[in-house]
This record gives sequence, C-alpha cells and structure tokens, in this order.
Amino acid sequence: MIHKHRIKDKSPALDALIWFVMIFVLLACVLPFLYIIAMSFSSSRAILNNRVSLWPVEFNVEAYRQVFAYPNFFKAYGNTLIYTFFGTLISLCMMVLFAYPLSKNRLKGQSLVMKLVVFSMFFGGGLVPNYLLISSLKLTGTVFAIILPFAINQFNLIILINFIRSLPEELEEAARIDGLNYFGILIRIILPLLTAALATVGLYTAVFFWNDWFYALIYLKSYQYPVMLLLRNIVNGTTMVGEAGGVGEKAFVAIAIKSAVIITSTLPIILLYPFLQKYFVKGMLVGAIKG
Amino acid sequence: MKKLLSLFLAALLVLGLAPLSLAEEPIEISLYYSDNATLPFRQDWPVIQTLEKQYNVKLNFEPIPMGDYSTKAGLTLSTGENTPDVMLYLSTGGAYASYALNGAIVPISDYAEWTPHFNARVEEMGLQQDVDLNRLGDGKLYFLPSLFDLPFYDGGLILREDYLVKKGFEAPKTFDDLYNIMKAYKEDYPDSYPLTSIVALRVVQRMTMPSFGVSVGRNTGTGTGTLSWDYEKKEYFAGAISQQYKDYITFMAKLHAEGLLDPELEQDNASTAKKLATGAAMAVYGYYDQIGGWEQASEIEGFKLNMYPPLEGPGGAHHQPKSKTGSGLLFPIGVSKRPDFEQVVRKLDEVFYSEEATKLWCFGPEGDSYTMDGDKVVYNDAILSSADGIYKYMQNAYGTGCAGLQNVWYLERELTKYDDNYARINAEVAAMDNAIQYTVPVPSFDDVTAEDASLLQTTLLDAFNVWDDEFRTGKKSIENDWDAYVQDMKDKGIEQFLKLYNDNKKL
Repeated sequence: MIHKHRIKDKSPALDALIWFVMIFVLLACVLPFLYIIAMSFSSSRAILNNRVSLWPVEFNVEAYRQVFAYPNFFKAYGNTLIYTFFGTLISLCMMVLFAYPLSKNRLKGQSLVMKLVVFSMFFGGGLVPNYLLISSLKLTGTVFAIILPFAINQFNLIILINFIRSLPEELEEAARIDGLNYFGILIRIILPLLTAALATVGLYTAVFFWNDWFYALIYLKSYQYPVMLLLRNIVNGTTMVGEAGGVGEKAFVAIAIKSAVIITSTLPIILLYPFLQKYFVKGMLVGAIKG
Repeated sequence: MKKLLSLFLAALLVLGLAPLSLAEEPIEISLYYSDNATLPFRQDWPVIQTLEKQYNVKLNFEPIPMGDYSTKAGLTLSTGENTPDVMLYLSTGGAYASYALNGAIVPISDYAEWTPHFNARVEEMGLQQDVDLNRLGDGKLYFLPSLFDLPFYDGGLILREDYLVKKGFEAPKTFDDLYNIMKAYKEDYPDSYPLTSIVALRVVQRMTMPSFGVSVGRNTGTGTGTLSWDYEKKEYFAGAISQQYKDYITFMAKLHAEGLLDPELEQDNASTAKKLATGAAMAVYGYYDQIGGWEQASEIEGFKLNMYPPLEGPGGAHHQPKSKTGSGLLFPIGVSKRPDFEQVVRKLDEVFYSEEATKLWCFGPEGDSYTMDGDKVVYNDAILSSADGIYKYMQNAYGTGCAGLQNVWYLERELTKYDDNYARINAEVAAMDNAIQYTVPVPSFDDVTAEDASLLQTTLLDAFNVWDDEFRTGKKSIENDWDAYVQDMKDKGIEQFLKLYNDNKKL
C-alpha cells in the first residue's frame, strides 16, 4: 500500500528536474576537465586561435613530452608517491593510537587533552617558530620534516574518535572478558570495524600529502621536492612578476603545457576516488553522527 | 731482498700519493638560485661544468622556484637556520634591508679586498656611484650587485608592422601617431580593442608614463607608488596628483572611451597571445623575446610584429627607468663562520665577476658554443639554426644569459645573440636623448621612518589605484572630480609621504 502510494506520488516533472540538475552538475564537473584534456593534446597554434573545444585539434603529445622532460620530473613524482604513502601510513597509525584512548570519557585527563587538541585547531605557532622547531629537531632536509608535523590532523582525529565512540561498548567488554588487553582490543576488534573511517581519513590525508608543496619548499632540499612544487612552478611561469617587472613577465609557459601539468598532477588522485567512494560516504556519515 | 722490495714498494706508494695529497681539493660552496620555470636549472649546463673545472670549485646549487624564492630566502635569513653560503639574485631592498641591519647578512663592503674582480668590473664600467647607491643607512654594501654597462631596451611598444605597411602609416613617433593608427584599426575592425598588454595594465603604465614626465602606480620608477622623480631638480614630487599625471590619465581615458584600449588587461600571456594572433588587438606593450611566439601563433596571412622606440609625449620620449645595477650575490651571516670564508668570497668573486667568467656566462665555453673570427663571435651551427633563436637556445643548452647566474652584462656582447633588427632598435634608442632614465635609489630610512613610509605608501597606492581605474574607465570625470581626488590623496597623507622621501633622499 505504502509502496503504491509512493509510486503515485512520483511526478514526471520532478523527475525531469532532478535529471536536469544532475546532468547540469555532471557537465559542470566534466566539461572543464575534458576541455583541459583536449588542450593538453592540441597544438599551441590551435589553442591560441580558439579552435579547441572538447576534442584535441592538431593532436600531439608535445606538451607532455616537455613536462616529462623537466629536470627531476620523475624523481619528484617518486618523491610524492613516497611522501603520500608513508605520510598517510604514519598518520593513520598515530591517529588511531591517539583516537582510541581519547574516545574513552572515563580516561583521566581525556577532557584536558581533548581541549588541547581543539585549541591547536584554532591557534598555531606561526611560520617562524615552527621552522625553528623543525630545524632544532634536526628534521630539515629529511622527509620527516613534512610527515611528522602533519601526522595528526585534529579534524580527522575527531572523525575517528566519533567513529570509535559509535561502536557498541559491549564488544570491548566481551573482548576483555575473553582476556584481550587494550592493544589487543584495538588491533583485533576496533581496527577491523574502523575500515570505513580509515578510508575516509586516509583519503583526506593522502590528498593533503599529495597536494602539499609549501612545507616541502621550506623544509626540503630541491632534489627532495615533490612533484606538486615542480608543477606549481611550471604553471606559475607566466604569473611570476617582480615589482619592477622584467624577467618574470617575459617568462611564457604555453597553455598546452599548463593543461598537461594539470592533468598530470590531478589524474592519479582523482582515480583513487571511485575505489574509495563507498567507504568515503559511509565514513563521512558515521563520523558525523554519534551512535 | 724481501725487505728491500717492500721498502721500494713503500717508497713508490708514498711518491705516487704525494701529488694527490698536494692537489688542492675543490672548495664546496652552496648557493640558492631563483629557478625560472621557462628555463629550468641544470647542474650539467656546460657553463657550470666549465666553471667548476676551471676554478676548482664545487658549486652546490639549490634551485628554488622563482615565485617562492623570496619566501624561502626570507625565512632562512630571518631564522638564521639552514642558510646557504650565498644567495643569488637578491638585493637589500624591502625586508632584506632589515635583515641586513639586524646582522643576518654579511656587510660585503667590509671585505672589498677579497673581491678584486668585482671592483675591477665596477671601475671599468664606471659604475662606482651606481654601486654606492645600494649602500644602506650605515654606509655599508650588503650584496654584490649585478652590473650593466648600458640599459637594454628589451621591451616596449610592439605593433602590427604588416598593418602599418598595408595602410601606408609611418612608424609611430608620438602618442598622437599611435592614436591615429589605432583609430584606423578600430574602424577597420570594430570588434577589436587595438591596444593590449602583457600581464596587466601596470606594464603599459610603467612603459608609457615616463613620456608624460611621471611614473606612478604599482611599478612606479621610484618604488613609492604615488611619487615621481624630477630629473632636473633631483627631488621627488607628488606625481599622482600632478598635472603630468592628469595629462596621462586624460589620454588613457580617451583611449578607453573610444574602445582603443583593451578593457581586460589583467591577463596571462596566453590571452595576450590569443588577442594578437587573432587580430583582436594590434598593439601591445611587451618584450622583444615574445614577438616570435606571437607571430608563430597567428594564422593571419602576412602577420608581422615589430618593436618601436619609446614614443614622444609631453615629457619627452622615455622608456621605464632602469638601473645599471641589479640583484646579485647576498652572503648570509652564517658563511662568515666558515674557516675558509675568505676563500669562499674570493672564489665567488672569480666565478661571477672575473673577465674570463663573464665571457663564459655570456657566450658559453669557447670552442664549443662559439669560436672567434678576429674580434667577431661566431656561434656554432646548431645555435645559429635553432628555431628558438640564439638567445633562448643558448640559455637552455648552455646555461648562458640566465638572470641570477650571469652578473655582468655588456650590451654589445648581448646583441650578438639577437637579430640585426633588435640591434638596430637598441642603437636607435641609445641615440635618443636619455630615453632610458636612471632609477631612483631607495632612501636611507631608519626602521621607524621605514614603517611610517610603508604605511602611507600602502594607503596612498590603494586609493590611487581605485581613482586611476575610475578615471580611466569613465566612472569618474577627470574634469569634475579631479579636485576631490587631489584632496583625498592629501587627506591620506601624500604631502607627508613626499616630505619623508625628500628628507631622506640619497641623490
């Protein structure tokens, strides 16, 4: 009966509107991307004469050849993969270890630590003190300079804490009765149930490490730079201007190269989304609602 | 016998090693370099390889993206941590003056006897006064500037030469000539906006205002935004509220009102190229190097661009002012703690300022990139036949002519890398009456005055930019609102700002 009622309520006009909106959103997301892909495979002449729309004109891979020919391009790409993989791994380990005890209200000092976590979300030390800290820890010039300070992200930590709190307390009680200690409970009971949340937080963290260029710039040597810093430099080629003007304004990076750079830098991380999407949505919802 | 043999072998070993231990180890020097994405740095550039071998030095370059160079250099200088031995392509303008006066930078003028090659180049080029203008309030020089014997006319008005020929126009000499050419173009192509620019309006402003006797705006010749320099009286004047500026903005407003000036001047180079290549614009303020790319991009038959000397306006015919000294070598204080500090400075002086090295930075290794035919430089066939042009090809293939690395520039030598047309234009500009005026040195402010000046500068420049935009686009009337504008600038302290600069001027 209810089912019938719902079908009766379905309006073709509403359906059409939903379809229209969805198609509009889809096109708004996809078209710019297709346009950039088309430009990256087109000749500069065709681009500058407004002949390129959604399909490459005078197809060539010259832009990609030039991007790949940049000194250290592949080294930088390798660096990024390493930073993203190990950064995410370390970050997830540390956040889980931090989130689990903080999810227990009965733990002494939990409230104070939680306040400190939230405080640090809003107040930072600033660039110079942070730089001095990292430098005094002898981390500059090492990969740890860009991984350790960002291993715990407060926002992601809160998602994990909420997720763990949403799990039934009885599970842990049963495990304790069966003789598991806290680490055993975390590893054998909590972690397997955290998959969705870890996928969500992991994706956030991976995107952060993938996109980061600033901390690599200030803490690392040029041979350790991630690909984002390299690509940023290429894309900024035309906009670097000194106050007095001159050399920077003469610099000219072809639009096809810029397009190739955009594709090269975003494609790998975009390809990750479909695989993590189901966890991602679930993780977002569970993290947001306390069970 | 055995003993004798071992003694003999030991003696051989000692003698064999002796030359090795006597050979001087190359001195290692770390350098920050501002890396330009269009010319990515390569440690294996022949110029660098040759220099390292020739001067027995190991140059450990740290290429830092140009757009972020200042951030990284400033951070390491302000914290004093992880600084290299030398930072290239920097000067003591802006915040760097503060770093210098607070002891973060070596006062290199205290070690003048260690820089004999730099001193020799300065004397030979007659630039002592220009170099001295870079001294800070304590009378010391905190960086070794790059040196130019003559200012280059590397950018300016670039026009469609094919259109001039087709319509029978002479090359423009005055702004009225330019106006007439653009007016004709607009009539032929009503949808076009004949005059455009690279990057932003400020490029047009800095290249054209001097012909009206003023230089204000973001790229003002004085670095103040709203003040200009009176080259006769040798003092600052309030350029932003002067009659000269009023004449200038009246001309620009006329161009805008008649659709002769591109209304979208804030753009990247691809947009500029598009407008020129498709005929949506026919004149641009840009650089000679860019002409080739624009011509290649166009599908218009006979499309040809050329650069022209500065046009004459009410204030004469002038291009943007230029200095004969530029950014150069800055030594963070940490290097002075090295036991071989003197050797480091001497080596860098040799690598960047010795006569042989300056030739190398300009022409590349002799016998490889070029040979000498009497006094004439003859580049190799690969260079001469390159589609990129001599200059660009040599930059990429050899590492010559890179701003930040080459620190001594002789116009005559540089012109060998350009076509005859460029040499002709430069010769024409050099023959004009002071077409490229000198830039005014930054006054010797103390910290407090510098802060006051900086606050006033920001307020005034912000206000100026708003008024300038409204006057040009016709939102405000120059006739009716000029007095209100002048009063506004006075209320915001332009007279006080002027006094600060005139009280502390160096010339």
